[in-house]
Amino acid sequence: MKTEIANPNQQNIDSDKQKMKRPKGTGPLAIMWREIVKDKLALISLILLGLVLVIVYGASLLLDQEKIITVDLLSIYAPPSAEHILGTDYGGRDILGQLIIGAKNSFTIGLFVTLVAGIIGLSVGLIAGYFGGKTDNVIMRIIDFVLILPTLMLIIVFVTIIPKYNVYTFILIMSGFLWTGKARLIRSKTLAERELDYVNASKTLGTPDWKIMIREVLPNLSSIIIVNLTLNLAGNIGIESGLTYLGFGLPESTPSLGTLVSYASNPDVLQNKWWIWLPASLLILVLMLCINFIGQALKRAADARQRLG
Amino acid sequence: MSFLKVNNLKVYYPIRGGFFRRVVDHVKAVDDISFELKQGETYGLVGESGCGKTTTGRTIIGLNKSTSGEILFEGKDLTKLSRRDFHHHRQDIQMIFQDPYSSLNPRKRVLDIIAEPLRNFERLSPGEEKRKVEYYIEKVGLNPESIYKYPHEFSGGQRQRIGIARALTLNPKLIIADEPVSALDVSVQAQVLNFMQDIQKEFNLTYLFISHDLGIIQHMCDRIGIMYRGQFVEQGTSKEIYSNPQHIYTKRLISAIPDINPEKRVRQVELRQEINAEYKNSYEKYFNAEGKVYQLKQISDTHSVALP
Amino acid sequence: MIKFILRRFVVMIPQLIILSVLIFALAKAMPGDALTGQLASNPKMDAQTLHELKQKLGLLDPPYKQYLHWAGGLLHGDMGMSVIHQVPVTQLLAGRMENTLILSLAILILSYMIAIPLGIVGGRWTDSWADKMVVGYNYLTFATPLFIFALIMLFIFGFVLNWFPTSGSVDIRVEDGTFSYYMSKLNHLILPALSGAIVNTTVTIQYLRNEIIDTKIKDFVKTARAKGVNESKVYTQHILRNSFLPIAAFLGYEIVYLIGGSVFLETIYGYPGIGQLFIASISQRDFSVVTALVMISGLATLIGTLLSDIILSAVDPRIRIE
Repeated sequence: MKTEIANPNQQNIDSDKQKMKRPKGTGPLAIMWREIVKDKLALISLILLGLVLVIVYGASLLLDQEKIITVDLLSIYAPPSAEHILGTDYGGRDILGQLIIGAKNSFTIGLFVTLVAGIIGLSVGLIAGYFGGKTDNVIMRIIDFVLILPTLMLIIVFVTIIPKYNVYTFILIMSGFLWTGKARLIRSKTLAERELDYVNASKTLGTPDWKIMIREVLPNLSSIIIVNLTLNLAGNIGIESGLTYLGFGLPESTPSLGTLVSYASNPDVLQNKWWIWLPASLLILVLMLCINFIGQALKRAADARQRLG
Repeated sequence: MSFLKVNNLKVYYPIRGGFFRRVVDHVKAVDDISFELKQGETYGLVGESGCGKTTTGRTIIGLNKSTSGEILFEGKDLTKLSRRDFHHHRQDIQMIFQDPYSSLNPRKRVLDIIAEPLRNFERLSPGEEKRKVEYYIEKVGLNPESIYKYPHEFSGGQRQRIGIARALTLNPKLIIADEPVSALDVSVQAQVLNFMQDIQKEFNLTYLFISHDLGIIQHMCDRIGIMYRGQFVEQGTSKEIYSNPQHIYTKRLISAIPDINPEKRVRQVELRQEINAEYKNSYEKYFNAEGKVYQLKQISDTHSVALP
Repeated sequence: MIKFILRRFVVMIPQLIILSVLIFALAKAMPGDALTGQLASNPKMDAQTLHELKQKLGLLDPPYKQYLHWAGGLLHGDMGMSVIHQVPVTQLLAGRMENTLILSLAILILSYMIAIPLGIVGGRWTDSWADKMVVGYNYLTFATPLFIFALIMLFIFGFVLNWFPTSGSVDIRVEDGTFSYYMSKLNHLILPALSGAIVNTTVTIQYLRNEIIDTKIKDFVKTARAKGVNESKVYTQHILRNSFLPIAAFLGYEIVYLIGGSVFLETIYGYPGIGQLFIASISQRDFSVVTALVMISGLATLIGTLLSDIILSAVDPRIRIE
């Protein structure tokens, strides 16, 4: 990163207002953008991901959901054809349509879980790191405890026994177990940040604690948070589709990519009817790879030592 | 009623140990000190690193909690005030930090940095706020257009000026300057120090000036307190301390000030050797069994020394 | 050091208690109790006998008493009866546990066999084409979800190429204890273990590679080179020595991954271990088995992290100073 040290004389020379406002490309977003463009793989991933998302969300608006989930006994397990580009499943339902709806649901839910878990983890981590001492101690004990829980099994148990089970409760259950990693990360970064004098300065200037946390400390953690959220998004899509694959994810009314993959638990489908499960598996793979490649580029942007340029 | 009076201030940090992490001992960062500031003067706190001078400053402004003792600011004990009441005194006491790099939030524009205290205490329209910020930024000698820049676009000296402008916006009465120039190049140090003296006159400020650099202290301060391991060793006017030091610790510190005149070099070395010999021979006279100094004793109206 | 271990144990006790309370609460929230099974086999039982039986089994006691009874049972290895299979849960678990342990062990061994050479290659010859392959491999395995990878492996090597069996842990036709029995077990193990291992290598490779890159520019390594130690000895005796112990110590933390992974792997490969049993039990609402499995997994994680913490603190004294 280039730092220009301006002296008063120089300022008078270039009185160009645009230039005065701020030099380009030193904010975290600008650095992140540069890093993605520099990394061809990340750039391709970004374009591919954008394309997939536009197609998925666009097409899901045009698709007739009713028609897709209606059983059509005349075309059970139809292989790909002109009518059904990716064939049909055991109920004669169009795979392509289900793929699009499933991808939309998987991505949306992955996003929501990431956001909810992110907000919980962020608040808890900020509070623990900023206040330190006893508060930190109590919170860390809780986090240590959640970390030893057999998370996957407990999510499955919760999914089974919760009385009013729907998409929202699913998001809450997942978030309830997945916030700890982020809380830990944010806590350790906040602990380091609060030792810096700008936090002390804000205290002596009479700024209330909550404002220091949100307005002063948080912006300085933004790059780490963006990186972490991106990588989490990929992970959460994987966990969601995995749970749905096992039959403990999204309820049947909301098909996900995992729903299509789960048809492969029938050996006949796995062996002979690749068009049912393979496209969904590959789509999950593509989504996760793209998001991860973008995340890795962002990670490099956040850490000055690793930047490409 | 004095302006600021510190009575028997103690700041201890617990050392935990043993199986149950009980408090087994304390680090006595500040161990029973008392001093007084008059309005308009500059009081210097000097000592080696770790002697408790910064802790003292930070405790006065409320960044550290005192273990016991009183901090009377215009008659009110700051240590007894609730957080809410303390908030009202924030405006009167401000601080200039040592490191101009970490004390300015890199994510904020200069405008937002300087306006932060204004937003906490005064309700101004954006226009008024901007005018006020521009007024102070000009006072500290920076171009008013630089308020839209970010801290990294400035040099260390300029950053320290921004820090000073931020401290000035609330019209404080007392400014605690914690090593305000030690992170700066020597060439910029004098500039910032002289500037601090200028604004002191203009805004009728009182400084509590914390430094380890005796040259700077001599240049800035009316009265001086010398600290060693959390206690006061000697206190007096600038003249008394520099021309008539009584405690061996003070003598050693002052003999360590470099002199740029090469002709005096031999004399300087001899002086140091003399003092070192005295230090070795009469250690017991100045330090007790724990290696700490004794209680302060008045030797004139303004001068006191820690002697048995 | 002993003080650290003791304190670490003291921290573990409340964790264990809270874990058991949580699981007990969950078990209470699950439908059915110890009598549901008997009721199924004897539907004509009248309300009076039912009430008496409940009283006898302590099901009408206040919750804390029930908890103490349940926790006491756990300490004696009594985890209740499986409602579906009508056998004690412990008996049901024994064989499954063995299979899962074998699978987990195989995953660990394989993943170290893959990860350590790759990590060393990546770290020693940074930025070479070999390193770029390692980094690429790492990106891929990090992003790939285990269940997708396992499914594709099963599809390719099990169904398309027909190299490996697609289900079970052993061929039922071979006789127990014979050579072909063990070969069959091994044959059934390879595919699930390999799938689990490949996806599990990322952390180790990354750690080892970074560690070597960081260490090889340190002064003590330069000193060794300057003394004329030959290059491969610099690596084996100076650089790697410091990196291996932490890797071994991560073993305990891996248990969390292995338990989660076993659920997917065993379901996909029809491998009769505790992961498959868990999914089967929860689908059949056999909740006493579910509770036991969650408790055992929690306990395993707890002990795993304990071991890792202790080993790590022995390797790196800084961890002990809190």
